[in-house]
Amino acid sequence: MSDSADTPTEESFEPTEPNTGEEFEPVQVFPDEGTMDLRPGADSCTKCSTCDTNCPVAEVDDEFPGPKFQGPEQWRLKQTDDGDEFAIDDSIMDCSNCMRCDDACPSGVPLSQMHNEARGEYVDEQMSKLSTEYWRNRILANYRTSAWLASKVPRIANVAMNFGPARWVMEKTLGVTSEREFPAFATETFSEWWAAQGGAAGSRERARDARERRGEPLDADKKVAYFHGCYSEYNTPEVARALVRVYEHFGYEIVVPEQGCSGTPMFANGMLDDARRHAEVNVSSMADLVEEGYDAIASCTSCSLALRQEYPELFDIDGIEDVAENTFESIEYLRIHEDVRGALQDAEIEDELAEEFAYHAPCHARNQGLERQAVELFRDLDGVAVEDVGDSCSGISGTYGWKDEKYEKSMAIGEEMFDHMEDVESTTGMTECPTCSMQMEHGTGYDIRHPIELVAAALVE
Amino acid sequence: MASTPRIVVVGGGSTGAGVARDLAMRGADVTLVEQGNLTHGTTGRMHGLLHSGGRYAVSDQKSARECIEENRVLRDIASHCVEMTGGMFVKRPEDSDSYFEEKLQGCADCDIPAEVISGERAREREPHLATDVDKAISVPDGAVDPFRLVVANAASAQEHGARIETHSKVTDLLVESGEIVGVEVEHGAKSGDRVHGVQSGRETIRADHVVNATGAWAGRIGDMADLDVAVRPSKGVMTIMNVRQVDTVINRCRPKGDADIIVPHETTAILGTTDEEVEDPEDYPEEQWEVDQMIETLSELVPMLADARSIRSFWGVRPLYEPPEVGSEDPTDITRDYFLLDHEERDGLPGMTTIVGGKFTTYRMMGEEIADHVVSKFGMDADCRTADVSLPGSEEFSVLRDYMDEFGLRSPIGRRSVERLGSRAEEVLGTGEPNPVLCNCEGVTRAEVRDAISQAGADLNGTRIRTRASMGNCQGGFCIHRLAGELHPEFDEATVRDSWDDLLQERWKGQRHALWGNQLQQAMINYALHATTQNRDHDPATQPVDFAAFDSGPGSDRRLGSDTVGEAADGD
Repeated sequence: MSDSADTPTEESFEPTEPNTGEEFEPVQVFPDEGTMDLRPGADSCTKCSTCDTNCPVAEVDDEFPGPKFQGPEQWRLKQTDDGDEFAIDDSIMDCSNCMRCDDACPSGVPLSQMHNEARGEYVDEQMSKLSTEYWRNRILANYRTSAWLASKVPRIANVAMNFGPARWVMEKTLGVTSEREFPAFATETFSEWWAAQGGAAGSRERARDARERRGEPLDADKKVAYFHGCYSEYNTPEVARALVRVYEHFGYEIVVPEQGCSGTPMFANGMLDDARRHAEVNVSSMADLVEEGYDAIASCTSCSLALRQEYPELFDIDGIEDVAENTFESIEYLRIHEDVRGALQDAEIEDELAEEFAYHAPCHARNQGLERQAVELFRDLDGVAVEDVGDSCSGISGTYGWKDEKYEKSMAIGEEMFDHMEDVESTTGMTECPTCSMQMEHGTGYDIRHPIELVAAALVE
Repeated sequence: MASTPRIVVVGGGSTGAGVARDLAMRGADVTLVEQGNLTHGTTGRMHGLLHSGGRYAVSDQKSARECIEENRVLRDIASHCVEMTGGMFVKRPEDSDSYFEEKLQGCADCDIPAEVISGERAREREPHLATDVDKAISVPDGAVDPFRLVVANAASAQEHGARIETHSKVTDLLVESGEIVGVEVEHGAKSGDRVHGVQSGRETIRADHVVNATGAWAGRIGDMADLDVAVRPSKGVMTIMNVRQVDTVINRCRPKGDADIIVPHETTAILGTTDEEVEDPEDYPEEQWEVDQMIETLSELVPMLADARSIRSFWGVRPLYEPPEVGSEDPTDITRDYFLLDHEERDGLPGMTTIVGGKFTTYRMMGEEIADHVVSKFGMDADCRTADVSLPGSEEFSVLRDYMDEFGLRSPIGRRSVERLGSRAEEVLGTGEPNPVLCNCEGVTRAEVRDAISQAGADLNGTRIRTRASMGNCQGGFCIHRLAGELHPEFDEATVRDSWDDLLQERWKGQRHALWGNQLQQAMINYALHATTQNRDHDPATQPVDFAAFDSGPGSDRRLGSDTVGEAADGD
């Protein structure tokens, strides 16, 4: 055996393949439109319960039966009798869709796919469309719609959304917890800023300048389609702007195609029809670009996971496999193609970002094998330190922690992360996931940044 | 006739239990003896097909007509044992067109509702069917749980005064003055709900008539009185898949051959089968190639079977019989019809009737004919009621309910449980006590296990066939110790340990023929679990263990209260 095989080096590191259920091709056997037969997925389960012991919800919620029951057991027990289908157990709504079970399973059981399909079926068939829960979940899942509306009048929205009496009413009538503060809406959306920068044409020019400066061929094949997601669009455009600056710095030309929500909050709430509508838009615009040689990048780890894993698992849309195979998280992509770490070794941070960061790896980043990327990336960057705050889930899981009845559980899950964050010397945190960052801020009062912002600060500013 | 005739039925399979129920309902004093647990023989080793008759519509129209008739009766009296999945005879391009037409005509001749559907339509119904299946005949095949059906027949017989003795082997026939007058029985250690209160030992049971319903074992019983009953046992292999790849019965539409049927059975699908004559119904080779070949052949109908997980395989022995003068060479040519042998007429030895041949689907009809024959000997004037009176569990019931509210059970667990228990669901599940799930694969709760133990006693295999506990993908790896725990303190430690070992061995037996891929992985994890947590990689503790000396654990002062009820409701 050669030395290189014995000693794992950073070069040999490969992100784990997301489990896209390649073992079998699920087909529709149950009578309602669009539901796949995932019973054969139970073939891989040996009941070992590793998924259950890795489930953050099961850890704090004794009533929750855990991913093994929700996934392979429930699917295996399921069938249709005389056209009458087995009901999905309502505990499926207590799963937060953190998808840690996918990562935990040693046998490749398509757990989150089973959960997503079961939840979709439950919401479709069994949840009353007149219930408060349904509308609360639908509103939370369609955050993009609310955010779009709020972005028209950001200043008013910021006041109104956190106006005490209004929040009290929202909690009492809709079940949206009043414990949390709504994130602020930016006065300029990312798209507005992007248009002002000249859009794709402007980017091409800046990329060519950068290539010239870097001594690379002007016609280098460096082009990415940016999936910014809702949060960078409406709430934290500074993340998206940092991404643009970093990518252009490395000579990439960026396009920002027409896009909707990735669907992550919709999967988690069983709103598969809503998710499909958005997925159709996303896949259609991304598929064309992928065909032209673009790779898709996302700065939100849940968005990239949705495009890579959930899309091909749940939907059958033209080009969906190509999009999935060519989608990357933004830091991941840079690390594959550029010597970012080398560049950072020569850089230094001196401004207000010269801090120790409490870094939390989002669950959805884990599923893509990215949980160590920020720690590794900034190891040799002078002026900063990145401290991993452990492998627990932050607890918010998108919309989960916003639900009144889940709030306490969400905070209990986050407890360990908060504790570890407190041990860091500064009051700054870092994560790739927008809702994890909400939770980190909510639990500690820290200011939370995206790693791409730090790369921008080190290399571009 | 002044006194009630005492009848001994030998054999606790479908035929024996069916005869016992019939005779008991007509007022006879019935004792059923079975060497193992109920369904120990061929009944417990079949693919669970409720025939529409379609399979025999060309080759054996008499059997086909009986099948469709009994199919309708069982849907009615045994609804909690039957799942009307429907069935299809599918034709591949290489299969004969003229046979397809013959099959269709045969179904029409036998009044079996049959309809031709296109390949596309067949795939709409069963999406995993091979894409080149070109057409199919749709028939009312179904799936039936042989265990539940036999247990329900035995329970009904008991309700009508019969005595059911399992684990009780007939060692001899009593012959006095040229007449059979009873049986010698040796009771095993694991008999269930015992009438005479003896856990083991010999017993002589005198009878006015003996019914030999031992199927493939009928020749052995005959030998005890020098009677020649030439049963021709024929083995067939069946393989259980982990999940249902199909939800309807899939038959291959061709004259005859091995590996031509897939039956959806509860959570699984059963592949069948082969047909090969053997000498001894208890000792015959079980070859891996039989399994491999069957999976390969059936993959032509459902390609995904080739890579799907199989959890076990088992062999069953058909009790085929034909009058010696027919002399068929090939067991597939032997009729599936049944024969009633009155040994008085046939051999000049009164006191016993043997029933051989036949099929599971027509067990009730066979029982009726034997019972008619037996009661006529005693001049009893009692009509058969087995076709009209529902079996215990099959009275009116609905599977559609709110399981969480009613029984505190998660939806699929409640549904499975109620489907198994039928009209007994309220009685069994409505205990008001904490009711955790003991077998997670099949969704079997403690209440259901305790109910089964109340019938089967210390024999965990008896509990298994009543509940399906340990019949899922882990094959008992994660639940047999829990089941064993339920035996205590009613049964002592040695008995519990013995039953626990027995069930583990029984589960292992079938898995030996599924040890590749996922099931091999399962066997490894079961082994690791049992070795590290149950000391199963060492000698069992043969020294008496002073359990009282152990501390009873941190939770021991906690009494059952509303908290524990809440915990139990989460299903585990």
